[in-house]
Amino acid sequence: MNGATIDLLYFARIAELVGKRQEAWPLTQACTGAQLLAALQERYPQLEPAARLKLAINQTHAKASATVQPGDEVAVFEPVTGG
Amino acid sequence: MVIVQEADFDGAALQETMRLRCQGQAGAIVTFTGYVRDYTPEAATQTLYLEHYPGMCERELEDLAASARARWQLADTLIVHRVGALERNARIVFVAAASAHRGDAFRGCEFIIDALKTRAPFWKRETLVAGDSFWVEQKQTDHDRTQAWESGPLPPKENP
Repeated sequence: MNGATIDLLYFARIAELVGKRQEAWPLTQACTGAQLLAALQERYPQLEPAARLKLAINQTHAKASATVQPGDEVAVFEPVTGG
Repeated sequence: MVIVQEADFDGAALQETMRLRCQGQAGAIVTFTGYVRDYTPEAATQTLYLEHYPGMCERELEDLAASARARWQLADTLIVHRVGALERNARIVFVAAASAHRGDAFRGCEFIIDALKTRAPFWKRETLVAGDSFWVEQKQTDHDRTQAWESGPLPPKENP
């Protein structure tokens, strides 16, 4: 992992829709969670049925307004359903 | 203590572990056990598959247990959650909260399981006896219960 990418992780239905569990995503400068999600939805139109996408940045729940930096680990998933 | 594992657990043994760890400080230990139930009374579940986010999962569970210990007088807390393919009626999750008095133990245990359902990164995939298979959606009532803990000690009813 170099400084020009983020490590994207997909879980549960999102991993199925995207067809992978992990990828290195090019990111040369900081963006917001919302901008990243918009870029993902453009790259993967099959995410359309997943209306409620959630983010975790470096293993902490993050809002759409949070900042994503190159080098971050970012997870994308639907609302959790454990317990 | 937080444990995420594929293996089954023995609730009675876990409660006994808590009792011994508390060394006389716990006048009350409240436990909760969650099981694989049928998706609906009309749609029997064959298998419930639980996926999780290793690393973040344990951190979130530690964090919500710490929140409970900060809010109530708890001598100890324990969370055990299973992952992988679980059969109908299998044990999924065990939560225990120990306190000098029952009120804090009840509230601590209930807070932890409520918060777990909306914060801990686990996802359930149902496979019904009838053959359908799908990812479970988070219930609004679960979200509302966690939100309610933010404003006071008494959560709303589980099923409106």
